[in-house]
Amino acid sequence: MKELEKTKRISIAAVLTILLVIIALLSYKRPSHLYSESIEKSLELVSNSDYIFTQQDLEKYDFELVDVRSNIEYIKGHLDNAINIYVPEILDPKNSEFFQEMKENNKTVVLYGASPNEALTPFMLLQQLGYNNIKILTVDLEYSQDKLIVKSSTLEENKYDIKKYIDESIKKATAKPKTIPKPKPVVKKITPVKKNKKLPVEGGC
Amino acid sequence: MVNRKLVKFLSFRYIILSIVFIVLAGGLVVLPKFEKQEGIEPEKLLADAISPERYISTDVLADRMINQDPTLLLIDLRTAEDYNKYALPNAINIPIENIFSKDYEGYLNQVEYDVVLYSNDNFKADQAWILCKRLDYKNLRVLKGGINKWYSTIINPEKPTELMASKAFDLYSFRKAASMYFGVAYPQKETEKRVVAKAKPKVTTTAKVVVPKKKKKKMPVEGGC
Repeated sequence: MKELEKTKRISIAAVLTILLVIIALLSYKRPSHLYSESIEKSLELVSNSDYIFTQQDLEKYDFELVDVRSNIEYIKGHLDNAINIYVPEILDPKNSEFFQEMKENNKTVVLYGASPNEALTPFMLLQQLGYNNIKILTVDLEYSQDKLIVKSSTLEENKYDIKKYIDESIKKATAKPKTIPKPKPVVKKITPVKKNKKLPVEGGC
Repeated sequence: MVNRKLVKFLSFRYIILSIVFIVLAGGLVVLPKFEKQEGIEPEKLLADAISPERYISTDVLADRMINQDPTLLLIDLRTAEDYNKYALPNAINIPIENIFSKDYEGYLNQVEYDVVLYSNDNFKADQAWILCKRLDYKNLRVLKGGINKWYSTIINPEKPTELMASKAFDLYSFRKAASMYFGVAYPQKETEKRVVAKAKPKVTTTAKVVVPKKKKKKMPVEGGC
């Protein structure tokens, strides 16, 4: 009898434990996005310039174009064959599915925004999540009379030699200012006006 | 009969229980192996990265540098070659490849300073910012437009045209003064002219000098009939 009671207790404890484990497993929510690249690997990936897709490449390769600007901008004007995924919605399940599908099909996805900088955030995020088929289109978009103008842009260009500019400005400032030729004083011709000498009134008659 | 079967079954009860636990323990192996996640959640990183608050404009930065803000720490992400050519005063050169190396980690992962990252434009600086943000580094800012914008706004500001608002002129005079602080010299003449123009008092009170006029004495006409 004593033996039986002991078993009873053990079985109740066992059942409870199993239930607990099952509930824990069911309630566990798997995070929908996980980084698959370590931070060092991500740094390495952005340090080389494999992700750059120039305007000339648009004619050469097979790819899927994605416009990362807002929907309003997209409707206003976009590149041919581009689909619209706004940056804040890039991690939505529907869009994740799209990127996953593209990755499985080994198709390159090219992101573009009003400037390459705009496409950088979604690009880096997707890259860190393990989508290694993403590239950035290096163009600037501008509007002129409601027409979309696409211009190539270069990244991280060292445009100006500032040191040279400063040195030159100092040189210019310290150099003796050129003596501006003084305008020759126009010699005024003075024509002496003869004063009518009043002759002393002499006599009369 | 039934009772005997039950007794036989119960004699294995410990073994059965232990098998159940072993199976459950085995289940742990099947559970998806989660890599140790480095950094904040991707959703949070995205939310932080799309807000423009990370940018600092060249004017604000110049103002803080001129006021010698002690909490400011400038980090140049360009190559050493570019850095040696020209860098902002007191900036530290950390080429972007080295931002996570042990030597430089202390500069980025801290809370005392306001770190401003810059490069030629803000593309590289943004990359570094996103990576550092993932590791939840605090107080990081990005110089909007980078060195190229710095040149076109502070070092060589564009003169406003006459039709522009007075604000543009104020901004221009600030930028010009800032550029002088950062080493640009302007020809003396121009500055002198301005000083003179300012110093010249416009109202000159001229004391009236009263010059007494000599009355002509009419001379008596001499002679005559």
